[in-house]
Amino acid sequence: MAVARFIAKRLVQIIITLILVISASYIMMYYSPGGFMNSSIMATALAPLQGQNPVLYHQVMDQFESRYGLNLPLWQQILKYLWHEFSFDFGNSMQNPSLHISAQLKQTLPVSALLAFGSVVLSVVIGVPLGIIAALKRNTWIDYVVSTVSLAGQAIPAFVLAVIMVLLFGVVFQGILPVTGWGSWKEMVLPVICLAAGNVGVVARYMRGSLIETLRQDYIRTAKAKGVKYWPLVFKHGVKNSLTAMITVIGPQFAFTVMGTIWVEQIFAIPGLGQVMQSAFTSFDYPLAITSVFLLGSMIMLMNLLVDIVYALIDPRVKL
Amino acid sequence: MASTAAAARTELAVKKKSKNRSPLYQGWKRFKRHRLAVIGLVWVSLFFIAGVIGPWVAPYDYRVGDFLAINQGPSLKHIFGTDNVGHDMFSQILYSVRSALIIALGATLVSFVIGIVLGLWAGLRGGIADVIIMRAVDFMMTLPGFLFALILVILLGRGYWSLILAIGIPGWAGYARLVRSLVLGMRNGEMVEAATALGASQAHIARRYMLPNVVGSMGVALAFGIPGDLVQIAGLSIFGMGLQPPIPSFGNMIAQASDNILGFPWLLYFPAGIFALTLLSFLFVADGLQEAFSPKGGN
Amino acid sequence: MGEPLLSIDNLHVKFARSEDEVYAVNGVSFSINENETLGIVGESGSGKSVTLMSSIGLLKENGTITAGTANFQGRDLLKMHRKQLEDIRGRDIGVIFQDPMTSLNPVMRIGDQIMEAMLTHHYAGRREAYDRTLQLMHEIGIPDPKTRFRSYPHEFSGGMRQRIMIAIALACEPQLLIADEPTTALDVTVQMQILALLQDLRRQRGMSVVMVTHDFGVATNFCDKIIVMYGGRIMEVAETDHFIRETAHPYSIGLKRSIIEIGHKGKEILPIPGATAAITEEPAGCPFAPRCTYASARCLQEVPELRPFGTDHQIACHHAEEVVSLVR
Repeated sequence: MAVARFIAKRLVQIIITLILVISASYIMMYYSPGGFMNSSIMATALAPLQGQNPVLYHQVMDQFESRYGLNLPLWQQILKYLWHEFSFDFGNSMQNPSLHISAQLKQTLPVSALLAFGSVVLSVVIGVPLGIIAALKRNTWIDYVVSTVSLAGQAIPAFVLAVIMVLLFGVVFQGILPVTGWGSWKEMVLPVICLAAGNVGVVARYMRGSLIETLRQDYIRTAKAKGVKYWPLVFKHGVKNSLTAMITVIGPQFAFTVMGTIWVEQIFAIPGLGQVMQSAFTSFDYPLAITSVFLLGSMIMLMNLLVDIVYALIDPRVKL
Repeated sequence: MASTAAAARTELAVKKKSKNRSPLYQGWKRFKRHRLAVIGLVWVSLFFIAGVIGPWVAPYDYRVGDFLAINQGPSLKHIFGTDNVGHDMFSQILYSVRSALIIALGATLVSFVIGIVLGLWAGLRGGIADVIIMRAVDFMMTLPGFLFALILVILLGRGYWSLILAIGIPGWAGYARLVRSLVLGMRNGEMVEAATALGASQAHIARRYMLPNVVGSMGVALAFGIPGDLVQIAGLSIFGMGLQPPIPSFGNMIAQASDNILGFPWLLYFPAGIFALTLLSFLFVADGLQEAFSPKGGN
Repeated sequence: MGEPLLSIDNLHVKFARSEDEVYAVNGVSFSINENETLGIVGESGSGKSVTLMSSIGLLKENGTITAGTANFQGRDLLKMHRKQLEDIRGRDIGVIFQDPMTSLNPVMRIGDQIMEAMLTHHYAGRREAYDRTLQLMHEIGIPDPKTRFRSYPHEFSGGMRQRIMIAIALACEPQLLIADEPTTALDVTVQMQILALLQDLRRQRGMSVVMVTHDFGVATNFCDKIIVMYGGRIMEVAETDHFIRETAHPYSIGLKRSIIEIGHKGKEILPIPGATAAITEEPAGCPFAPRCTYASARCLQEVPELRPFGTDHQIACHHAEEVVSLVR
């Protein structure tokens, strides 16, 4: 019961946050100097019409505005968007009026979600063992190499790694792995590696620190006094306790990865949410932009909620 | 009586031993032990120098392309090669360093100032102000700053000032939290209390305990913050929302080069390499500072 | 009596710090017989814990044993490999630590923590170990063992956790129990319960106990023999009765005087002046000399060896005779 109450409380918090974010975003877009009809493509397309037939031009503009509710008072527009988002209707995009946004998302959202989840899973699978090795071999060359490489992975953003990968596999080792597009698992490899690299670094460094700290704890000494052998000691007592602390970094890392996804998609030409978002933002396509903000926000916050629940399941001291 | 006399003697001995070594100097000594951090510091310094003197040493104007020499590989004339409109890549990079530094430092300053003001307010005032500010911090921390930056760019546009604000405004939360915790730590710090109890003067406490703590933490925060902002600036460009070309920037160069990477890879080597090295150097410096100034760094 | 169970001889331990070295134990020798209780008393930093921890291989990473032997059942613990020591720890030698709040694994059920010792040493099979765990829990006074088996440490009070620590230490019925400040972190009433429990368990099992404590009351109540340590050296050794009546070392006398007793309001409290300082140079002279009211020039130059002083009584002090005559 306590768990249900906790989840309900958190969901309410998430909804409030989303309402704030959507309203604030919309207000900013509303007051922005540009606008869809003024964006470079539309402006060039409409310029001749404006000159030749101003009446028709104004009709077109009015029709556009009433279609997207731009002539309503601001607060009504905000309410309209909030309704759209929370009913998962999302409305139609401006760039592609005949296409319903939800249809567009059906194709793109899973791609980005797969990339983000895949790389977070990969980073844990690689980062945790690396961190353990570095912690156990503390202050040896292995530790220095792992720590330095981790720091490098953390320092270099996914998009820089992505272009380096494109360079490597597009030029130097041509033909081993595809560097553009989306479809089979082969096309997933490079983007996931790029996204995971930074996380591997964070996870490994955190795991290292956490395990070193754990191995200094009194209960480790108790286990030693019991005669527990080295490896059971490290895993059953050390790693298990460090993992509970580890889990807390996954939430922020996921957020970070989601943002990395939209960059990496640009460079590998992957038809995901990132591309949708880019076109939405650069051409002031408000419905689409708001929807992508909504989706990214909810994805990140739901992941945080999930992390907290898992944390409580693993650590008996945490009460939800 | 005897015990206080003994305590005074040890206190005196401690003072004598560390007389000529300020805590900051000791921090610097510890920092110097990290070879990578020192190398990082050298590179970061070069980066700053390049940003300042760039326009005077750049061999070519960033706006002018040489149409007779497009997409050339590195040569004596153009040591980093030229791009598809004949821009000298070396000059482009020098100007990019400048634009990147202007925006990154500006944005960090904006975040820092907002963060200090709100953090001080929350820490010193407490009460409802503290609650509200910390709620806002949590709110800002739930979502990535880059998302806020994207939306702000729509509102503000894509010039220097707009990017400084778009990246700087969402970044205050971390600094505010740090400043608040420093303020609270100082108010109720056991160390300060103990020092006061031992009869140390206010000035002595401030110099000996507070200053190194504050300078250390702030330095670490800034050393992590600046490269974070550099990434965001470039990230915005990758997204097509960064500095408007023709102003050179790392993000634009990387985005452009990735379009025709297969034919002219050198367009990528230099900008991406230098950018990556710079970020790495900042992180090494940050790491070194953290170890030099964190209380647990002794081991 | 035969061979002692554990005999430590001329033990030296050093700790490396970032800028210097600390001489933590400087030539400590003592032994404990079967079915005997030994109390090692001293202030924090006197090297009393380090002496025992180093003999069973639980020294902190920056510590090194520079000399000495620790014979346990005829084998030198200090020469053993990690694996051999692992076989002895928890099976032949059990340990209880000071802080029950931090000494139990927070994410492991307490029953499993007790069972682990038996399973590690193949002392019992799974089923048998489970039954034995329930029985041990009952024995140490945990009500409803079957349900509590599945509880986590944070669900217990400090006293209860210390009982669980005792159950863990006793799981394989060791011949020697090392109790490192077992009651220090507990409330006074709980201290007494734990001591009484330890006393019972010890008598039933005929087990030897080394009790490390800074508390004279605890040590003299519980132990047959008392060792007083200071600055990594033994200052005084005596049978408990002798010790109570004939305390002779200036440090021991000081320690006894600094105890506050109930019902002695107005009695002068006499703290030992000064504070223990880490010894960072090759020790010369008596470690207590800088704080000792009886110290002479000789005390600062010449290390006093442990020498017999009456029956069942040894002392390391150049001026023990004078001190005794002055005090009595």
